Amino acid sequence: MPQRVGAASVRRVTGESTGLAPVIETAGLTKHYGSVHALTDLTVTVGHGVTGLVGANGAGKSTLIKILLGLLEPSKGQASVLGHDIELASTQIRQVVGYMPEHDCLPPDVSASDFVVHMARMSGLGASAARERAADVLRHVGLDEERYRPMGGYSTGMKQRAKLAQALVHDPRLVFLDEPTNGLDPAARNDMLRLIQRIGNDFGIAVLVTSHLLGELEQVSDHVVVLDGGHLLRSSATGDFLKQTGNLLVEVIGTTTERDALGEALAKAGLSCRPRGPMVAVDPPPPGVAAHDIIRDVAAELGLGLMRLQPDRGHLEDVFLDGGARV
Amino acid sequence: MSEYHRSGVIHDLGYHGYVGPREGTATIARTLFVTGLRHTYGLGRSGKSKVLPFVLLAMSVVPALIVVGVVVLTKLPTLPTSYPNYVNQTQLLISLFAAAQAPVLFSRDLRYRSIVLYLARPLSAPLFAMTRLLSLTAAILLFTAVPTTLLFLGALLAGLDVSDQVNGLLKALTLQILLAALLAGITGLISSISLRRGFAIVGSVMALIVVSGVVTSIQAIATTQDSDNLGVVAGLFSPWSIHNGLARAWDVDVAVLTPPEGAWPLAYSLVAMLVVAACVLGLVARFRKVGSR
Repeated sequence: MPQRVGAASVRRVTGESTGLAPVIETAGLTKHYGSVHALTDLTVTVGHGVTGLVGANGAGKSTLIKILLGLLEPSKGQASVLGHDIELASTQIRQVVGYMPEHDCLPPDVSASDFVVHMARMSGLGASAARERAADVLRHVGLDEERYRPMGGYSTGMKQRAKLAQALVHDPRLVFLDEPTNGLDPAARNDMLRLIQRIGNDFGIAVLVTSHLLGELEQVSDHVVVLDGGHLLRSSATGDFLKQTGNLLVEVIGTTTERDALGEALAKAGLSCRPRGPMVAVDPPPPGVAAHDIIRDVAAELGLGLMRLQPDRGHLEDVFLDGGARV
Repeated sequence: MSEYHRSGVIHDLGYHGYVGPREGTATIARTLFVTGLRHTYGLGRSGKSKVLPFVLLAMSVVPALIVVGVVVLTKLPTLPTSYPNYVNQTQLLISLFAAAQAPVLFSRDLRYRSIVLYLARPLSAPLFAMTRLLSLTAAILLFTAVPTTLLFLGALLAGLDVSDQVNGLLKALTLQILLAALLAGITGLISSISLRRGFAIVGSVMALIVVSGVVTSIQAIATTQDSDNLGVVAGLFSPWSIHNGLARAWDVDVAVLTPPEGAWPLAYSLVAMLVVAACVLGLVARFRKVGSR
């Protein structure tokens, strides 16, 4: 069972040492649908910038967002968004957040321009301000001439942009983006990721973005929260996930024969190691052992051409590999 | 709000925040109400969607214009029809208008799931449902009030007694508000459940026109069988018989086979209000459910 995150780890998570109040705070948040446990005792804090919310399908990502928006009621626990309690001040929260749902939500017979203006007004902007903001935001998300066409004829990429535009049109202080890269081709995916990074950094809007693809969040988020089956697996700065593991990666010229020869020789020399792809991954050496020198000497003795010798970095995926280590 | 300073730098990419005023929920609801009312008449939508509401409106106005012409030219001492009776005579057109236009306000948001975008904004599900219902109620009321007002102006033009006519008009409009709320609630709820426009229209036509026909038949049988009470009870099941029964109880000349007497008009009013309340609750539950998916 996950333990509640202590105060110390909460502070580590918050706002990337900017000293700002947290954007989202949850305490023991739980949502059960009958026997289905969508979220279990989730305690997490999200700061400014871009925060990735990662998990497989059904991990509880969308459920968390809907609870924070007041669309769903939690079974247990509390949460606050931008300092407002979700139960007591749901309206105030919805005034200052934007939401881009995962599923299709655009009427096909309305143009993006008209729709985004209407949504701006539904967030409380006046008629002329709504028109101005809609034009501005549609330009930022990259919908140009198409914005006067009915949205039914849009490609998936254009629909995602229109959905993003309606989430940003009222200049929220926080946006929830639920799977914004879903269904996009690689080029459109990169565009969307760049846009998300700009929203978090240049626009100054805090972003909580979900994805089931770890790799893409690695690129854009300052901070990653990993959910697994409704439990918090880990929450920390993206850099912590990617920091050096202490392993060394060695590659020599040749095929797997040369790789294996090197591996066996290194093992004899007292370094534990294993093959990884075309390379040999050397475990962190015991203190006092100069691993780099040993590798150089072993390669020289065997007459192997040393091609690469670099420190190994972690990946977001590793969190799932040692999934037993739940927070 | 000032405790959240933006740490981001605004580059010359041109993103500007919005620092202007943000309206409260009352203003947002008013905007939604006006937009909804316009949309029921096809205003602000495609040219095609204006055809049906305006054709129906024209069809319900033309007989009123003819009546006005006749009254003015022939100097009749009274209008040939009471205001509520005119509404009753055009009930088919009014039912069709409600059935055809309710899906505009109640199916689209649910079918295309844009309801989620509304509910993620300041308006809550109950307020949203009620605003939508008010839009449709106002649209139906407008539909019935336009010919009624024309008749009234014609009566004044013909020199009929002003106080009689004002009295009749106020009674008629009061009854029309109740009728419009009933029709809007019933057709709105049906449209929010059957999201395909065709099914919604068929369902609403069944609920309004077919049920009304059945109620009238039962009332006709009840009179021949000398069991008027059965007919009065049957009248509770259709908005039209409620409207007509209440009009009759209010001393207005409307053709009603089994007029409600004694405590029955009160029961009619209570049932009407209960039905409207139940429709509001049903709509809120429906919007909540779809919005949380």
